[in-house]
Amino acid sequence: MRFGGVEVLRGIDFTVRRRELRCVIGPNGAGKSTLFKCLTGQLTPSAGNILFKGEPIVGLPSFDIAQRGVGIKTQVPSLFDGLTVRQNVWLAARRLLDEAAALATTHSLMERVGIDMIAEAAVGRLAHGQRQLVELAMVVAADPDLILLDEPAAGMTKDEVGRLAELVRELSGEHSIIVVEHDMQFIGMIATTVTVLHQGQILMEDEVGRVMTDPRVRSVYLGKLKVG
Amino acid sequence: MDFGVIVVLQVLVAIAHLALISIGLAVIFGMMRVINLAHGEFLMLGGFTVVIAANHGVNLWVAMLIAAPIVVGLIGIVVERLVIRYLYGRMVDTMLATWGLSLLIVGAMTMTFGNTTRGVSAPLGSVAIGRYQSSIYELTLVLAAAALFAIAYLLFRFTRLGLIARATMQNAEMADSLGISTDFVYAVTFGIGAALSGLAGGLLAPLTGVLPTIGVAYVAKAFITVISGGAAVLAGTASASALLGTLDTVATFIATPVVGEMTLLIAAVVLLRLLPEGITGRFLRRAS
Amino acid sequence: MRGSRAWVDGLTVLIAIAVILLVPQLLELYSVINATIYVSMAVLALSLALVWGFGGILCFGQAAFFGLGGYTYAIAAINFGDSNLPVLFAVALPACFAALLGYFVFWGRLNDVYLGVITLTVALILFKFFNATAGDAYKIGKAALGGFNGIPATPPLNLPWDKSVQLAPEQIWYVAATLLLLLYYVSRCLLSTHFGQVVVSIRENERRAELLGYDTRRYKLLIFTVGGAMAGVSGVLFANCVFVSPTMFSLSYNAQIIIWVMIGGLGTLSGPILGSVLLQMLTAELGTLQWLDPNFVLGAILVVFVLLIPRGLQPLIAALGERTFSGLAALGFRRRKWIKP
Repeated sequence: MRFGGVEVLRGIDFTVRRRELRCVIGPNGAGKSTLFKCLTGQLTPSAGNILFKGEPIVGLPSFDIAQRGVGIKTQVPSLFDGLTVRQNVWLAARRLLDEAAALATTHSLMERVGIDMIAEAAVGRLAHGQRQLVELAMVVAADPDLILLDEPAAGMTKDEVGRLAELVRELSGEHSIIVVEHDMQFIGMIATTVTVLHQGQILMEDEVGRVMTDPRVRSVYLGKLKVG
Repeated sequence: MDFGVIVVLQVLVAIAHLALISIGLAVIFGMMRVINLAHGEFLMLGGFTVVIAANHGVNLWVAMLIAAPIVVGLIGIVVERLVIRYLYGRMVDTMLATWGLSLLIVGAMTMTFGNTTRGVSAPLGSVAIGRYQSSIYELTLVLAAAALFAIAYLLFRFTRLGLIARATMQNAEMADSLGISTDFVYAVTFGIGAALSGLAGGLLAPLTGVLPTIGVAYVAKAFITVISGGAAVLAGTASASALLGTLDTVATFIATPVVGEMTLLIAAVVLLRLLPEGITGRFLRRAS
Repeated sequence: MRGSRAWVDGLTVLIAIAVILLVPQLLELYSVINATIYVSMAVLALSLALVWGFGGILCFGQAAFFGLGGYTYAIAAINFGDSNLPVLFAVALPACFAALLGYFVFWGRLNDVYLGVITLTVALILFKFFNATAGDAYKIGKAALGGFNGIPATPPLNLPWDKSVQLAPEQIWYVAATLLLLLYYVSRCLLSTHFGQVVVSIRENERRAELLGYDTRRYKLLIFTVGGAMAGVSGVLFANCVFVSPTMFSLSYNAQIIIWVMIGGLGTLSGPILGSVLLQMLTAELGTLQWLDPNFVLGAILVVFVLLIPRGLQPLIAALGERTFSGLAALGFRRRKWIKP
């Protein structure tokens, strides 16, 4: 994926199986958010292709990709600030369900995620951690096959992180999930396989324990290793 | 042969006309991302300054080249300090507020000067080209437009003021921390944009006369030219003026002035659809 | 989250009906016609309130659809001799035009500012076009377009079931005012449907709506078309109480509609209706004062509102209403939850 003169992602050969839970880590600028944007259709890769459920999706508009079953919780929560929490989640659910089912799903989801107490609050006024939860509820409400979470634990308290980890573990049974995170503890709580991105390329892809202790990963984060 | 020359000259005049009425707006829009819908009134005020000064004995050229830009430039600074500076970053709100200002200024001028056209005659007479007469003053405008663009380019590219202005526009916080008074830069840049408009309005006054409501005729065309031009202030305005001015004149010669104007407008709409970021590219990202 | 404000609505409808019936009784003909003009402008304001306030589409040329509606009605009525089909055409044509323009703009993913410029340009093109149609050469069927003078005598509306009975000015008032009331409630209904909620969400955050799987281009196109149709209706009403001319497309009208919506309250339905009536009355009053120019006052008001009261009048009035109700609640009055219209 190339922006002007900068090649942000290069030679990525990345596969996630159905119902797999994968984490992607890497220092800032490694290309993680760009990867997600390519997956949702917000960006079109300059070369290469992307297959979702066996179908190519490069060049399709975002709404089409979303309709096929991709949901994303963005790095900076993207919500309907002027509406209430309930209305936000409802809109996500209502596309697929009828009136009654949408209301029921909205209600149960808000409880499950833990935002039912603030259901009537205007989203624009919420704290960052709460906004993350609202966005999570919205993504789940649309019942996508693939859930993308971009730094879901950012701005959350320890308790909230714990609950989030539990929720992600629950969800991974029914959905494919890719999580981008910096919070290593959180990753430790949920992950099985971790992919490490560095300077636009995949450095390694392995089981979480091995990745955490690998010296190359340490150097990449501390800035010593350069991949040619 | 002489008809061909006349057509070319008229095309140049049309381009110069567009370029002149747009340059002030382009500076303010391009540098500050402010959409100033009172732009037409800045042109009108420049014209009035010239007419009134000239009718009171001031030399026409002094009035056009010195008085008009200074007067309107100062008004611009006042406008920026009183209204614009509270609305930075709020594009729609600046559009509305400057629209309000436009009405306010038109109203104030109507109350003060009434609704009749005042004029001052165009200097320099005319020249014969084959069987046709061409106003020398109109041709001078072409030179004036070119000179104005050249000066603006030199100013922004090679002077310290230009560098500071460009830096502030790109990164205000950084400029602040470097000790540059961003307030001052904004006010001065807006003032310069206004002054350029005043100058343009003054230069055009001998051709059309002035009326409090003539701004209205200018603002849409200027706006369209600037947006079609895209991000680059000078290159964008120049190229858009060239394109639209040529189309307008050619269509006018083939049919009527009304068709010419309509062609200009339709061409702009099509251009924006094909090149959503104007001729000189990548400017406003999609709103969201 | 829709609470009921049934009794407020009921009261409003009763008052509205009373006003509709009383106006011709209490006012002389000249004022009734004036009131009808205000109502037709209110419908126009409502159309932009929908498109801009709820759709988030800053259309600088809403008057284009207003003018097209008026002209279509006049031309068709002169040619057909009655008003039934002309009314249909006068709503359909602006709607189609809006759909085409909307397709052009929304599928091109144009930015807000560019959209504003393009819509304004379109209105100007129409203005210049109709302005230049003086002389006998410019006729559609039996209707001469009339250039900058417009079409002097518009055939008035007739009873749909009896073409020979043309409506008198008072009756046109009844039609117009009832239409305004109807369209207001239809708009309210529309906004509370799934479609309406999606439109509002697009205004809030188009990207997020897309990422949830909504094709935002279609929603914007639909609301824009509805707005265009509504503006066409206001054109028909206007044609019936004044006459059609190119000024319907002018910058002046386009500017005024935006000012009405802004000052009335962007994001509400009743605000722009209120704003349009108040500001027109103000402009009329100012017209009689020789020393104060209406543009000056209007401009000053707009600047003040943008800087100090950006949400317009309606929220202020609603807040006042809320305080009154809390006061009454303290007295034991039962209070129902209500949403903004």
